[in-house]
Amino acid sequence: MFGKSKHQEQEQLRVDPLACDGIGICAHLAAGIVTVDSWGYPILPTRPLARGDRRSAAAAVSACPRRALFIEPVRR
Amino acid sequence: MTGQHAAADRWLHAVPAAPPTADDRAPAPAPLPTLPGLLDAPVTFGSTSREAGAESRAHDLTSHLATYGSRPDASGRHAEDLVAALEEVALTGRGGGHFRVARKWRTALAAGGGGTVVANCAEGEPASAKDAALLQLRPHLVLDGMALAAEALGTREAIVWLHKGDHATRVAVVRALAERHAQGDLTVAVRVVEGPDHYLTGESSSVVRALSGGPALPYLTRQPSAVHGIGGRPTLLHNAETLARIALVARRGGGVPLEAPLLTVVGRGRRIVTPARVGETLGEVVARSGVVADPRGSVLLGGYGGTWLPWADVLRVEATEDAFRPLGASLGAGVVAPLAAHECGLAETSRVLDYLAASSARQCGPCLFGLPAMATLLQRVAAGRIGRGDLRTLERYAAEVSGRGACHHPDGAVQLTRSALRTFAADVRRHQHDGPCPGVDQPPLLPLPEVF
Repeated sequence: MFGKSKHQEQEQLRVDPLACDGIGICAHLAAGIVTVDSWGYPILPTRPLARGDRRSAAAAVSACPRRALFIEPVRR
Repeated sequence: MTGQHAAADRWLHAVPAAPPTADDRAPAPAPLPTLPGLLDAPVTFGSTSREAGAESRAHDLTSHLATYGSRPDASGRHAEDLVAALEEVALTGRGGGHFRVARKWRTALAAGGGGTVVANCAEGEPASAKDAALLQLRPHLVLDGMALAAEALGTREAIVWLHKGDHATRVAVVRALAERHAQGDLTVAVRVVEGPDHYLTGESSSVVRALSGGPALPYLTRQPSAVHGIGGRPTLLHNAETLARIALVARRGGGVPLEAPLLTVVGRGRRIVTPARVGETLGEVVARSGVVADPRGSVLLGGYGGTWLPWADVLRVEATEDAFRPLGASLGAGVVAPLAAHECGLAETSRVLDYLAASSARQCGPCLFGLPAMATLLQRVAAGRIGRGDLRTLERYAAEVSGRGACHHPDGAVQLTRSALRTFAADVRRHQHDGPCPGVDQPPLLPLPEVF
């Protein structure tokens, strides 16, 4: 299943919870990846981003009014 | 045996005060067969006092040297020997990550070394007093560990990080530094810096942030402090106990196993810092502290972000980190708080959760909103006013909060809450059907500092 991405670096969508104000634009732009908790703060997947999710995740990153989201290589 | 002595030999010869002679094998000082441990007897504190009881005897520099011998050299080529010894004994930090000390040092050295060494002496756990005991009674062991780390890292910059209210500890540290200065020990230029009296002041990212000119509050670390610490430079941040152990490992070499951890046993009106002995069970350590544990009772292990377990499940478990891992628990900061069966663990936990919620740095949404929401629900559980769906909501909040802060503060609150609901499940049912138990009126066992 992950055979193709074996040599490709896996990436993850992350949030700096200090910067995040729970505005929620990410949950709209990256629906299906980002959900919100009981107080409106984004819950991000802990697994690596699927290739098909890269574009909407990047849209959420650039639209975040608090610059709280980022995509980075999965830490081992 | 031979390995142990060979290793000890190597270090004894590296003592800077006695430069090696031409034939540095000739008048070899006989290595001490067993070096005394961190503390030789239990040390008593009041339930909130940060000063060790007067019956405890502190080591000045002379008695320190008489007890442990002089500190080996860890500079230059000796650094790798010490790192190898730390690796061999598998010394880990007392933080939640149980990070290998040797790995941290290698990371800092690979990042170019230099930078700063920090002795993290801001003991945030209100129930713990082990760092205060160590710093007040064996300050030179901690300062030795700091000097060794600084030598290995190739820096002279060292900081002792304290809480503002740690008066007795500060006096002991400053006195010890003055003694070393008077003896001409200028290996490190030590600054004593104080942070606010807050639960999170000793959190590692808080320390780095404060000492880089920011507030003493956690932040999201994207690189380890060993690479990018104070002022963006490699930083070795170690708990006081870890530094004291480094000082012992440097003297003994890697062939001698580590001594058992320092634990703080919590009794009514007192806390007893008790050095566990190798092979001793938790029940034996508690018995030696003088605190009587109810065989039908429970125990809070680690700290306020720790784990409640039935006392019967742990009393025969060896007092080591590894032995508690299969139980889903950690010795963490070393707090051992036995609670009798007639006392109410739900009321204790509810008060601690209120304290943890109030102690949030209020920077991350899930912690800022989630902990008070959990605390409100747990208050109802403790008071026997559990509404329909309250327990399910509490578990949902716990799941939502877990892993969502910049630091592990919310994770600790979740661990505490879940373990209480598990260990006191029968009490939860009783509170649900019959209202609160008589135990809720007992005065609190666990100390609860005021939060400003």
